[in-house]
Amino acid sequence: MNWFSLLLIFIALLTFVIAQLLLKHAMESTVTRGFGQRTFGKNIALGTFLMAISFFLTLGLLQKFDLSYLYPFEGLTVIFIIVAAAILLREKLTAKLIIGSLLISAGVVLVAIS
Amino acid sequence: MRTSPTGFGNPWLQLALSTLCVTASEMFLKTGAMATAQISQQWGWTGVTGLASGLVWIGIVFRILSFVTWLYVLKHLPLSVAFPASQVVHVLVPLSSWWILGEFISPLRWSGIALVLAGLALVAKPAARLEEKL
Repeated sequence: MNWFSLLLIFIALLTFVIAQLLLKHAMESTVTRGFGQRTFGKNIALGTFLMAISFFLTLGLLQKFDLSYLYPFEGLTVIFIIVAAAILLREKLTAKLIIGSLLISAGVVLVAIS
Repeated sequence: MRTSPTGFGNPWLQLALSTLCVTASEMFLKTGAMATAQISQQWGWTGVTGLASGLVWIGIVFRILSFVTWLYVLKHLPLSVAFPASQVVHVLVPLSSWWILGEFISPLRWSGIALVLAGLALVAKPAARLEEKL
């Protein structure tokens, strides 16, 4: 494990989280304005592109590291996603939602290291 | 908050379908990947040799279905609720690996699965109540 691999893990995580935010934003925009508008087209394209980047980075990392080593990082995405959704999408987080997400995250990490 | 569709369009039903599609996809990809593991030493690491198996293609179709249903879910549910709830795949995939593929699950792994389930119950409960009010 070196700094470069850690950086790749971080970028794979970050691109995944941003992709989910963009996809959410794209779908949200269709509620009032339908599918034939730029907000939808732009965000869905960029979101899918970032998903692909994250996918291939993860695939490349899987060639070098065990799944059980990389999986705990995936468990962290839940935390990143709810924090990002709260800050950037102005979604309301309840205490139950936060504790529930922490439990899920811990569970995924436990499944990975066992 | 706007009212969400009922029946087949219910976002929670679609979320369940989405996670079932991910689980089915993983099962087909794993079986297909094992069937094609011996094809080529030279190209095996890229994963493309898996495409020689029909099972992998079925897995890809399920993956696409899960993506489309996920987009639908995002249209109707907050990301901060839908994404944690989608983590039910971390319960479904190990369970199906155990049940269908005959893989072994250690006691520690069972406790991890239990933790995820406990978290899911917490995440889904307030959201379900929100639905009832609509």
